[in-house]
Amino acid sequence: MKKLLALLMLGLVLFIAACSSEGEASEDDSSAEANGSSEETSESSEADGEKQTVTFWHSMGGAGQEALEAIVDSYNQSQGAVQVNAEYQGTYDEALTKFNAVAGTDSAPTMIQTFEIGTMSMINSGNIVPIQEFVDADGYDMSGLEENIVSYYSLDDTFYSMPFNSSTPVMYYNKDAFEAAGLDPEAPPETFEEVEEASTKIVESNPDMKGFALQAYGWLYEQLLANQGALLLNNNNGRTDTSTEIGWTEEEGKSIFTWVENMVNDGTFANYGTNGDNMMAGFLAGDVSMFLQSSASSRDVIDNAPFEVGIGFLPHPEEKERAGVVIGGASLWMIDGKPEAEEQAAWDFMKYLQTPEVQAEWHVGTGYFAINPAAYEEQTVKDAYEEMPQLQVTVDQLQATKPSYATQGGLMDMIPEGRKIMETALETVYNGGDLDEAYNTAVDQFNGAIEQANAARGE
Amino acid sequence: MSMSNAVVRTTELKQLDFEQIKKKQRTKSFLKGMMFLLPSIVLFSIFLFYPLLRTIYLSFFLTDAKGVTTVFVGFDNFINMFSSPIFIQSIQSTFLFVLYTVPVTIIISLFLAVIANEKLKGIGFFRTIYSSTMGISVAAASVFWLYLFHPTIGMLNVILGTLGFENIGWLTDPTWALIAVSVTTIWMNIGFTFLILLGGLQSIDTYLYESADIDGAGYFYKLRRITIPMLSPTLFFVVTVTIINAFQTFGQIDILTQGGPQNTTNLIVYSIYREAFVNYQFGSASAQAVVLFIIILLMTLLQFKFGERKVHYQ
Repeated sequence: MKKLLALLMLGLVLFIAACSSEGEASEDDSSAEANGSSEETSESSEADGEKQTVTFWHSMGGAGQEALEAIVDSYNQSQGAVQVNAEYQGTYDEALTKFNAVAGTDSAPTMIQTFEIGTMSMINSGNIVPIQEFVDADGYDMSGLEENIVSYYSLDDTFYSMPFNSSTPVMYYNKDAFEAAGLDPEAPPETFEEVEEASTKIVESNPDMKGFALQAYGWLYEQLLANQGALLLNNNNGRTDTSTEIGWTEEEGKSIFTWVENMVNDGTFANYGTNGDNMMAGFLAGDVSMFLQSSASSRDVIDNAPFEVGIGFLPHPEEKERAGVVIGGASLWMIDGKPEAEEQAAWDFMKYLQTPEVQAEWHVGTGYFAINPAAYEEQTVKDAYEEMPQLQVTVDQLQATKPSYATQGGLMDMIPEGRKIMETALETVYNGGDLDEAYNTAVDQFNGAIEQANAARGE
Repeated sequence: MSMSNAVVRTTELKQLDFEQIKKKQRTKSFLKGMMFLLPSIVLFSIFLFYPLLRTIYLSFFLTDAKGVTTVFVGFDNFINMFSSPIFIQSIQSTFLFVLYTVPVTIIISLFLAVIANEKLKGIGFFRTIYSSTMGISVAAASVFWLYLFHPTIGMLNVILGTLGFENIGWLTDPTWALIAVSVTTIWMNIGFTFLILLGGLQSIDTYLYESADIDGAGYFYKLRRITIPMLSPTLFFVVTVTIINAFQTFGQIDILTQGGPQNTTNLIVYSIYREAFVNYQFGSASAQAVVLFIIILLMTLLQFKFGERKVHYQ
């Protein structure tokens, strides 16, 4: 009996404790809410010393992350009102997946960095505020920014996101190997045909070195298309109306495959499959003399190569004029449903990122472009160009690009899938598969993916 | 008369009482049992049954990027899937991968376990070494093999080069990529299977060997007639687990090949991942997941039906 009583007592005590803690918790909640609202008001008047926090999700790993964190730190120290917390969320794909999971809840970040091909899915998601609203309200002058970059991120004259890290593909080549093969190290090959000839000469002079490597990477295929003035998707790359099928002609699409096949047959092509890191390691080890890659890697390649590195423009077929390249990289999105003060703080941070000083540091530290061309006049950039004139080529290529639908790039939410399809087709050709079959299968699958994506939107 | 009546009444009463108590007891023990089961039922429902039902539900729809259903398409996802050469290849690759990895892993581990079961000086060192791959994460092991497989500066190709052979594009050549991934997987799985098999070997009673010794049985006779039959429950467990693991391989694919070259290593789980989190087609990804579930279920049932007959439980 005594035992039972003791148990009863214990149970009662626990029950009371549970009740009271519950009560406390709800009280806490309400007081936190009260605090929150008072914080908001105090921050909008900036009377209190409390800082407004901005959560910033990004996908910059390695050297890019270091450079970005340095910039965020300097912003946090430059003023007292806003505290930006930069959080690395994995690759662009991973970050976008996480964002889709938390969008519309309190766990969503204030701003997120998303890659260029995520543009359409961000707009379709309905969880973002177009940057245009802030530009209009603030009277911010966008004309100071690089024209080609601005044209990629605006749709129907509305600016959806703030460009941040932009890059284009360039051709890296080994100047020492060019010299050894009797080629002019200051004049990199410009057309598909010239690349083939140069590759043959390289292999002739040094049988241990392959001439050219093209990573099976859908982005590079898109760029090689755009450089011929070809569209990726119909309806002007999906910019005038939703695309319903591919935009390139058979001649344009096949030219890239034929070019690669020729080099595979000549034995001058180095196959690194889909692995970009392996390709870069191979280049640095002197196993291949030329490769295409994003200009964002330029600082890395120049610093690590034991030989002179040259950077040239993206090659194009001889009979086509060079049209230029599409902006790659990522932009910053403002997330909907956040308190006004928080969004304003994030907007302030975005403006800070566009200042010439910050852009100069970013450009030199990574190889991404300066979004604000005034950065090229900064002393940091001038000093870096003195030391590494190759960095300038990447900028020249962008500025030589003619704005058109082709060089604005495709807009559609199925592009990641399309890339994988082209990668498989490229790999088939690398491994000696039938070109026509690989190409036709790829086109069929690409069209199928567009159809599926349109159906899934339920329109 | 009245006496016998009373007797009948009491027996009737007793029986009624008995039935009632029995019923009461049964409900009581049922409730008690449920109480014990409740935690696992709740956990299973939240983390297994609900997601399973949700996956089946999603497989009949098309979705937007957030996974919200947009259009009901019935069995279209399944029809498209089985008419897609990419998915058929993915199934083929998965079965090939199981075929490459499971038998080899078990034969090597069994061999290692048998030799590590000898009572020798310093055997503990070898046992540690043989089981050491268990302590290496999938990611670390894959990165390590990624460097071994590097086309030009990788150790394997350097060795081939010095022996005068052509370089092999381990991860870029469609004929080699699946084999390369299999080798990595076998290497990673050996530690675990070795440990389980060694445990099984050590629990075999020594008197069996002693009496066999007295009868004058040789080493291989003992291995065939005593070790393998006594080990069969452990072997059965290891085979089942290895097969399920092989069907669910993901990490090494993601790091080594990303499903390439030409989709030859696009195993089914990786294909589901790509479909859901790169292409944002949660509907068809769910359909693939349902198919994977059915395949694994069938494989396990088949194993229990045919494999278990040969298992000897002590």
